[in-house]
Amino acid sequence: MLEIRDLHAAVNGKAILKGLDLTVNPGEVHAIMGPNGSGKSTLANVLAGRDNYEITGGQAILDGHDLAELEPEERAQAGLFLAFQYPVEIPGVSNMEFLKAALEAVRKAQGKEEWDSVTLLRKAREACKQVNLDAQFLKRGVNEGFSGGEKKRNEIMQMLLMEPRLALLDETDSGLDIDALQTVARGVNSLRSPERGIVLVTHYQRLLDYIVPDHVHVLSDGRIIKSGGKELALELEQKGYGWLTGEEESA
Amino acid sequence: MSLPSKQQGLELKTLAVENARRSEAGDALTPLRGDSLNALEAAVFPDRKTEQWKYTSLHPLTDGHLRTAADGALPEPLPNLAAHRLVMSNGRLQENLSQLPEGVTLHRRAGQRDELLTPFALYNGAALTDAITLEVAANTEVSAPLHLLLHAASDTPAHCQTRVEVLLNPGSKLTLIEHYIGQGPVLNNAVTVIEARDNASLTHYRLQSEREDTLHISTLLFRQTGVSRIDSYQLMGGNRLRRNDVRALLEKSGAELNMQGVFVARGQSHIDNQLCVEHRVPHCTSNQVFKGLAGEKGKAILNGRIHIHEGAMGTLAELSNKNLLLSPGAEIYTKPELEIYNDDVKCAHGATVGQLDAAQQFYLQSRGIALAEAKRMLSLGFVNELILALPDESVARWVQPWLAGELSQYPGANEEAA
Ligand SMILES: Nc1ncnc2c1ncn2[C@@H]1O[C@H](COP(=O)(O)OP(=O)(O)OP(=O)(O)O)[C@@H](O)[C@H]1O
Ligand SMILES: [Mg+2]
Repeated sequence: MLEIRDLHAAVNGKAILKGLDLTVNPGEVHAIMGPNGSGKSTLANVLAGRDNYEITGGQAILDGHDLAELEPEERAQAGLFLAFQYPVEIPGVSNMEFLKAALEAVRKAQGKEEWDSVTLLRKAREACKQVNLDAQFLKRGVNEGFSGGEKKRNEIMQMLLMEPRLALLDETDSGLDIDALQTVARGVNSLRSPERGIVLVTHYQRLLDYIVPDHVHVLSDGRIIKSGGKELALELEQKGYGWLTGEEESA
Repeated sequence: MSLPSKQQGLELKTLAVENARRSEAGDALTPLRGDSLNALEAAVFPDRKTEQWKYTSLHPLTDGHLRTAADGALPEPLPNLAAHRLVMSNGRLQENLSQLPEGVTLHRRAGQRDELLTPFALYNGAALTDAITLEVAANTEVSAPLHLLLHAASDTPAHCQTRVEVLLNPGSKLTLIEHYIGQGPVLNNAVTVIEARDNASLTHYRLQSEREDTLHISTLLFRQTGVSRIDSYQLMGGNRLRRNDVRALLEKSGAELNMQGVFVARGQSHIDNQLCVEHRVPHCTSNQVFKGLAGEKGKAILNGRIHIHEGAMGTLAELSNKNLLLSPGAEIYTKPELEIYNDDVKCAHGATVGQLDAAQQFYLQSRGIALAEAKRMLSLGFVNELILALPDESVARWVQPWLAGELSQYPGANEEAA
């Protein structure tokens, strides 16, 4: 469903992705690991269509759509969902109002039936409950004053409602306490399905104990330099990245 | 063709004096007309060199033949925001459409001359066709809001003068919705004077929602001659020319004034707000929060003057004006202006002009929301705290769709570069 071929991308003119290949089939969970600054968030942002993240070569195809040709909102409507590493705060726009606009747009584009406000509120409350977020958070400004962990749970809450075709989670586990990690993992696992692909960006093997991946990849300097099964994550935990990148392991 | 601005001022003055002479009639307004005309003849109309008019041209006002407007066609149905409504159309009270709440009396007269010294306020006084003075009886709480619908309409270029004076007697309480509507090339030159005496309390709304082809110049004067409280909420849409001179005089220790406002200048609109709060005596409080938006070729101005007189110790005065530019072609000018003549004051002010945040836009888009809708949501989010603070539900209900309209994508707007 997601086919990335020889992807090159630059951020503000600086080359970051340098020939990246990745194929995600329906039903699969992929984990991407790799050193800080290797380009993991860049990949996520390029796929989601952020300004100034420019594809300079290669292709990313989601269900036959060339992502480069779609506006960010069209990518979301095509079923792409990015849980951000650093979700932005939007004071003055309530979480509920935001969910309403997002779900209206996405469900309409996908030909799904519209949810009336009662249904929407019920679903939103359920989703909050699933990620252990008090329903009061629906009334607050989007991410406004949320703690780090609350922001991450808010991302997963949105994901549960949007029912994406392909979910990209950028370090959703960072900054979560132990209970929240399990809550988030349960949320993600509940979305696992034969029709859906999931890509997890993470630094920690621990998340992968809860969400067991089918494939693990190492991203370094803008390329996937090694792929394997779930045991690769364990090996990385023990050995670091030095043996793969040929550099000294950084503390 | 646009005239040099000095000539515009002279031309406008000639017109104003002519219009004023034509409006002469033997009635209760005659003394005010005469006084105002004398002062008007000596007055100098502003030009671009006048500091307080440097962003606003008088050209749209001298465009065409500027007779006093005849009766204009009222829209159907008339907006109705409260149990009691008074209607003025092109400056004339529409008795058949007006009902007074208990505790309020109405007179067809106007008497305030002091403190109304701008040429446009004088022009209003000199060319009046009608005027109302509302008086709230002492120790009377008027339970339901009073909707004052001020309409101006004409198919051909015209001027009209709207004049309202309100007196809150000691211990009285009122919610007043001063609501401007209208259409066509008509200048509504309005003067509103509100005086609050001891222990009086006023919740005041000023809704300016005329169509975009109209012109509006108004002078709003608050006089807090008693220990009183005024909360004023001012919402302004765009039109060809909107100029609001708002002046508040705190004249008795213990008086409190709160003003909040939102202005939205889209398309080709021009909104110029000149605010002046004068602390004339010790221990008064004023708090002003205004938020502005401008898009396309819209232009908005806010000049916020706070004048703290000698001897006005223990003054608390605050002014905040945050603004958002929605397009590269839009302009916003904001300036706090402090004149403080004593040391024992707390005075805070802040003014900013920013743009929509790219990261916030992307976040909304990444959830499937189209860019235009994302911009609308963020614009609304920017002013939302002020909208949520509106105390009367009927006004809040009116504001939602009005604001949604003002903030939706402008019909003629070309797609802007991000
Ligand atoms: N706006 C930008 N301008 C210049 N360089 C940038 C910009 N954004 C990212 N980069 C650079 O691109 C590189 C890749 O960054 P990216 O955020 O993709 O790394 P990452 O793999 O997600 O790292 P981390 O594990 O720390 O989250 C980094 O060197 C970063 O400094
Ligand atoms: Mg990252």
